[in-house]
Amino acid sequence: MAIEADVQQAAPRTGRRRRGTAKVNLGLLSVPMLWLVLFFLVPVVLVALYSVGVLTLIQYDEYLSLKPWRDFLHSSIYLGGPLGRGLFWKSMKMSLGVSITCVFLAYPVAYMLALVAGRRKYTLLLVIIVPFLTSYLLRVLAWRVILNPQGVIQEGLRSAGVLGADQNIAWMYNSIFAVYLVLAYVWVPFVALPIFVALESLDLHMLEASSDLGASRWTTFRRVTLPMSMPGVIAAFVFVFIPTIGEYVTPQIVGGKSGLMFGNVIQASFAQSFDWQLGSAMSMFLIFVVAILLAIFGRYLNVRAVAE
Amino acid sequence: MNPAISTRGRRGLWGFFWLLVIFLYAPIIVLIIFSFNDNELVSFPWVGFTTRWYHEFLANGTILAALRTSLLVASITALVATALAIPASIALVRRRFFAKGMVSGLLLAPLVIPLVVMGISLLILFNTIGIPLSPYTIAIGHVVIALPFAILTMVPRLERIPAALEEASRDLGATAMTTFRLITFPLLFPALISAALISFTISFDEVVISSFVSGDQATFPVYLYSQLRLPERLPSVIAVAVVILVMSIIVVVASEVGRFVSERRLEGKTGMSAEELSSLSAGKG
Repeated sequence: MAIEADVQQAAPRTGRRRRGTAKVNLGLLSVPMLWLVLFFLVPVVLVALYSVGVLTLIQYDEYLSLKPWRDFLHSSIYLGGPLGRGLFWKSMKMSLGVSITCVFLAYPVAYMLALVAGRRKYTLLLVIIVPFLTSYLLRVLAWRVILNPQGVIQEGLRSAGVLGADQNIAWMYNSIFAVYLVLAYVWVPFVALPIFVALESLDLHMLEASSDLGASRWTTFRRVTLPMSMPGVIAAFVFVFIPTIGEYVTPQIVGGKSGLMFGNVIQASFAQSFDWQLGSAMSMFLIFVVAILLAIFGRYLNVRAVAE
Repeated sequence: MNPAISTRGRRGLWGFFWLLVIFLYAPIIVLIIFSFNDNELVSFPWVGFTTRWYHEFLANGTILAALRTSLLVASITALVATALAIPASIALVRRRFFAKGMVSGLLLAPLVIPLVVMGISLLILFNTIGIPLSPYTIAIGHVVIALPFAILTMVPRLERIPAALEEASRDLGATAMTTFRLITFPLLFPALISAALISFTISFDEVVISSFVSGDQATFPVYLYSQLRLPERLPSVIAVAVVILVMSIIVVVASEVGRFVSERRLEGKTGMSAEELSSLSAGKG
């Protein structure tokens, strides 16, 4: 309300109305910006300060110390460890695998909806997206019911006689495979969106031109459609990759010990081991990774594609 | 000849589409079916049909309290996020200002920060300045992650409301406030409802930030998550979750249908087709 009153005062009544006075913009933007500065930017800065002990919060904290960073950079959580492979790289590989899988699953569907399905495309797109808008926890939980040793698949195989009464399929549950499958399941609908938007804005005349000039459908796809939909593909990739690097809920529900990810050690450093500073150092590290990714791919990101 | 697809390719793609739909919905349907199984393990064998898990949750005070907390948090989130998104979207669509790219970058940045990092940073913020954890601290975090979605819901709608309508109103002597109340707000209203629903849904389902800053009053997802270690409580928790799932599907579908209908009405009201509307706003850039 007060904002609009400002608009009135700020806009001169005579002559051509000036549309961009600083006061109006300030009135419109101050509260939303303040919210994000206070509850988003400042907290991230605090995490950075806290991770090097500029401020201390709980009794185990060390004042002005790089120990959390040293611990993190040298321990098996990151690069070292007995197996020579840290959890961070395991998570990176997982996120990479999940993102690529999602793009491969979603691309044909987005292509079909945008270029082949005709008038029903929005309804059918909604059919794909609805699961994404329902409870995340519940969808993960559903897979636990399906994959666990007494679950739908393994009990089904037992009653069909394929699996012996005392046999289990070990790789199916509490495993890296389970985490991979469930994460891909969770994110596929979301990936379909930006690819759909990119393909839908494609000018069909270009495809016709390409075919009139003698290109086969495959060549048209490879030389015209695919390159023009790449921004959507990259956006989709980044929007899955980033949230899954820090993921700890899915690994905890279906991953067991072998499916533990980087996000789990971050969460555990707060919830179990009370090494908050170590957890903060790892969080900051994740922010760096995200920042690097955004620096590389940022210009391809059309976030509008997610909403429309 | 259709340059996009051959007849055989079309059949293949349709087949793939329906396979993906089955992949997406089968787990949800399995969960719904097993929520009626008279077995404490939420799995095979099928013992018999029962609704006792559904009765049990109605008698479980902890679940009801968690649901109440979730409702409170999600309502605050929906209200605040929508209220903040209105001026922010108007500024982004209608006005030009210094460092606009950076401002919109900040407004949308919460989309690309892992939730675990957000949870930790809010926990450290509240600890540093000494704010006790409560449902309100959860709502503060949820507004941050819901705000980009609320803005992204309103911006396309605002872009399709011709600025000419607002200018005409001002030229006829209406104040900015009156113009907002009589022109912009009614035309923006459907997007406002969508934004509020999306914010509500995001908050109601969010578990990561909530578990870091919830204090001793758990929201429903936090409670659900904590019960996963205790298999005997699982069936009744799943029963509630199924009820919520079905409700949220209904809300989502209804709001999407509503959005579609209101787009049609916007075209009717302004007497312009969708193409004309978008070319109008594009020209204004």
